[in-house]
Amino acid sequence: MSISSNSSTLRLVLKGVIIAVLATAAGIWSARLVLQRPVVEDELAATRFPVARAVQPFELIDHNHEVFDNAALQQRWSFVFFGYTYCPDVCPTTLSVLNSIAQRLQDVDADIRFVMVTVDPQRDTPERLAEYVTYFNGDFLGVTGSDEALEQLTRQLGILYNRVESEPGSENYLVDHTAAVFLFDPDGRYHAVFTPPLSAENIAGDFRKMLKATQ
Amino acid sequence: MKSVNRQPPAVLFMILLSFMTTVMAGPAVVVEAQWVREAPPASTVLAAYMVLKNTTDTPRTVTRIDSPDFRNSQIHRTVMENGIAKMLPVERLELPVDGSVVLEPGGLHLMLFEPQRTLRDGDTVVLVIHVDNGDSVTVHAPVVRKTDATDHAHHHH
Repeated sequence: MSISSNSSTLRLVLKGVIIAVLATAAGIWSARLVLQRPVVEDELAATRFPVARAVQPFELIDHNHEVFDNAALQQRWSFVFFGYTYCPDVCPTTLSVLNSIAQRLQDVDADIRFVMVTVDPQRDTPERLAEYVTYFNGDFLGVTGSDEALEQLTRQLGILYNRVESEPGSENYLVDHTAAVFLFDPDGRYHAVFTPPLSAENIAGDFRKMLKATQ
Repeated sequence: MKSVNRQPPAVLFMILLSFMTTVMAGPAVVVEAQWVREAPPASTVLAAYMVLKNTTDTPRTVTRIDSPDFRNSQIHRTVMENGIAKMLPVERLELPVDGSVVLEPGGLHLMLFEPQRTLRDGDTVVLVIHVDNGDSVTVHAPVVRKTDATDHAHHHH
């Protein structure tokens, strides 16, 4: 391995370590918040909070280069997944599940949006995200931003992500990441979380119940 | 891999008898239901899935799966740890006697890096499965577009 690829590997690893440490600290902090009052209701596969939680300010951009912030979560329900486009197995599988949820909920009288926020902003440009998410469903939205901007959102949701080298020195690094799907209500509040294994049938069913409960 | 189903003519059979263990034993590993998930246009990393069966009376190990249609490949396992999806490299796949190993979405999969050409639904890629006894099994895997969660992605022959 050449010296330059060694140092770039080192930088990558260091960056990964820093992100991992920050993310872990954030995870512990937010897990504590979540654990204070989690309610796993018998009739739901989701964990829904007794009171939907306010989302602290964050600002990212979507794949159309529009601002994606707290205001963008308003006026509609948002299913949000955190992933990345170089992910060959989990992310396509999850986006396929989200597409199935979208199809199952076509008859629902509510505005629903599906969003993938990248945990790999270095590689996932808005253009790349646009190609990726719309492959699964033309209405899906990709969101990205700087590491710092991303942490404003991930920290408060307890999202963990960590870059992992797959081939030494290769651009093909992997990102371990929280695989849950988060649901935000039309007031832009964090309403529920769905943890894997993700079932389109269960999630769509839960959503109908939750929607009914709020109407 | 094409299996040898046709009955060879008797004379040929006699001639081949001495080579039987090598020629007629068939592959150590049988590959079924193989497919490659079509990736969005921007993607340079794809995944292949399949069922590997050991039909011999000896435990076998798959040591590597290559594809001439990609720059590199690795066997991986997706695991969930505390809600976090991780991909762990898998060095070998152990196939017990009469046993099989299933590569499927969300579990074991073959990661395929950097396709050598554009691959779309309906295309075919070559996979070469290397077995510890020195055998290698070549199969053709269809590229399949799968964008919903139904289980319809299985397959052509």
